[in-house]
Amino acid sequence: MQIYLPIAELSVNLFFLVGIGGAVGFLSGLFGVGGGFLLTPLLIFSGVPVPVAVASVTGQVVAASTSGALSHYRRGGIDLHLVMYLILSGILGAFGGVAVFDILRDAGQLDLVISLGFLILLGFVGVVMLIEAGRAILKQRKGVVVRERLPNQHNWMHGLPMRVRFKKSRLYISVLPVLVIGLFIGFVGSLLGIGGGFIMVPALVYLLRVPGNVVIGTSLAQVVAMMAATTILHAVQSQSVDILLAFCLMVGGVAGAQFGAAAGKQLRGEQLRGLLALLVLAVAIRFGLSLVLTPADPFSMAVVSPGSAS
Amino acid sequence: MRPSRIIAALALLVGLAAPAGAARLISQMSNDTIEITSSFDGERMSFFGAIVPDSGSEDLVVKGPFHVVIVVVGPTADRVARQKTHNFGIWLNTDQVTFRRFPSYFHVLSSGRLRDITDVTTLTTQFILPESHTLKPNEAGWWKTAVFGRELVRLMTEEELFGVNQNAVNFLSENVYSARLTLPSNAPPGSYLALTYVFRNGEIIARKSEGFAVRKIGFERFLALAAVQQPLLYGLICVILALFTGWLGGLIFRR
Repeated sequence: MQIYLPIAELSVNLFFLVGIGGAVGFLSGLFGVGGGFLLTPLLIFSGVPVPVAVASVTGQVVAASTSGALSHYRRGGIDLHLVMYLILSGILGAFGGVAVFDILRDAGQLDLVISLGFLILLGFVGVVMLIEAGRAILKQRKGVVVRERLPNQHNWMHGLPMRVRFKKSRLYISVLPVLVIGLFIGFVGSLLGIGGGFIMVPALVYLLRVPGNVVIGTSLAQVVAMMAATTILHAVQSQSVDILLAFCLMVGGVAGAQFGAAAGKQLRGEQLRGLLALLVLAVAIRFGLSLVLTPADPFSMAVVSPGSAS
Repeated sequence: MRPSRIIAALALLVGLAAPAGAARLISQMSNDTIEITSSFDGERMSFFGAIVPDSGSEDLVVKGPFHVVIVVVGPTADRVARQKTHNFGIWLNTDQVTFRRFPSYFHVLSSGRLRDITDVTTLTTQFILPESHTLKPNEAGWWKTAVFGRELVRLMTEEELFGVNQNAVNFLSENVYSARLTLPSNAPPGSYLALTYVFRNGEIIARKSEGFAVRKIGFERFLALAAVQQPLLYGLICVILALFTGWLGGLIFRR
């Protein structure tokens, strides 16, 4: 069954959209990430114009992260104080990201920067995660007890000025690294159409030493707020949010996420992280190849400004 | 761009009024609006016509053989063609040419090979060949314009937005023809023009232009307009929809 997408101006199979939404939702539920980093490339490779794909996926990420964020909120697993700082700087970053997005689109370099961005970001995160998960699995095999929580030691970042007490995370640290993390994720997220959960979680754990019981909830709450703001920014500035496309993806994604979360309970934490790392690396390699290999067609076209509305 | 369209149409009407030959074209299209609904998956159109003696002419029939060429032009937009080159180990867009007011849809239907119907000059000056749209003066210089223009026409053809079908017009009798056209699902919304030319011995002896519109209707039109006219509200509604869907999903699948 074909469905016409009014903003993308093309018709796509409805089951295909709900299907990829569901498949990505399953993986996002399994690994506890938003899934934007998989969905945006999938849409781009299946012919949806890059700006529409990026802008619409931000809407889907909001939906995918909401149910998770709500259940963490009920369990008290969100440090709202920390989230507020992250959002504040994140929205600033998103403004920058959306502005750069527009400039790049007009200059014809949006595809390049998105490919490069995914390659660097996913490649880096994938390698780090793979190493970390591999070590954990090896230790497990040798019978070494893995410490559940990271040592609460401070690093140089915590000593910077403007210290603030975050009660729920049991931290008394400088807000500067918090703001920088928020700014960076807001910028990258709006530029690449990803929630940034897979950057946020390691950043909170390894840089800020946020305890494990509030990491996921805090990250999810931040993703919901950030992506909601980014969706509105994209809608206002580039007008490329396709609500129908986003909705089809949401329906699949929300359902898939629940099954993914159930399946996730069957697997061990480090196995999950290892699999996620492989997935992230696969996407990074796919983007890398598209940059390095000789393209099938060196020529491409785009509409700069439409002649008429309606 | 609308006024210029009207002027073009007027110019054509004036051309009709002047006796180009002793023939006149009566034609009809199957649709004058094509509506894009949620299940829009392209649309088939038919063109019919008859070549009859001009009013005031003594003849009862016009003698052929005739050739008919129908040019269907869609709305225009500024379109850019870009070329990737290999730099520092990666492929990136380095060169581009912008074509101002380039048709987003252009199909030619004819009753025979265009080269057999008339000469290249006529085909080019009447904008019958797809390439003729790339030949407008461009600040990029004529060589680059020609190279990128050819590639742009090829890309548009691959998207089924451009095309030349040289046996799409069938003559039912010596003076009556019919033609079929399938608009693809990615046909851009806007106002279209179907220009019909009747050729005899390589000369245009009659022509006619008819307009039709491809437009979104109902919910699709509402969404597309809302996204442009009320972007803030549209964005807010997207977010509320997303939050609601997420909340509902969590509620339904609560384990």
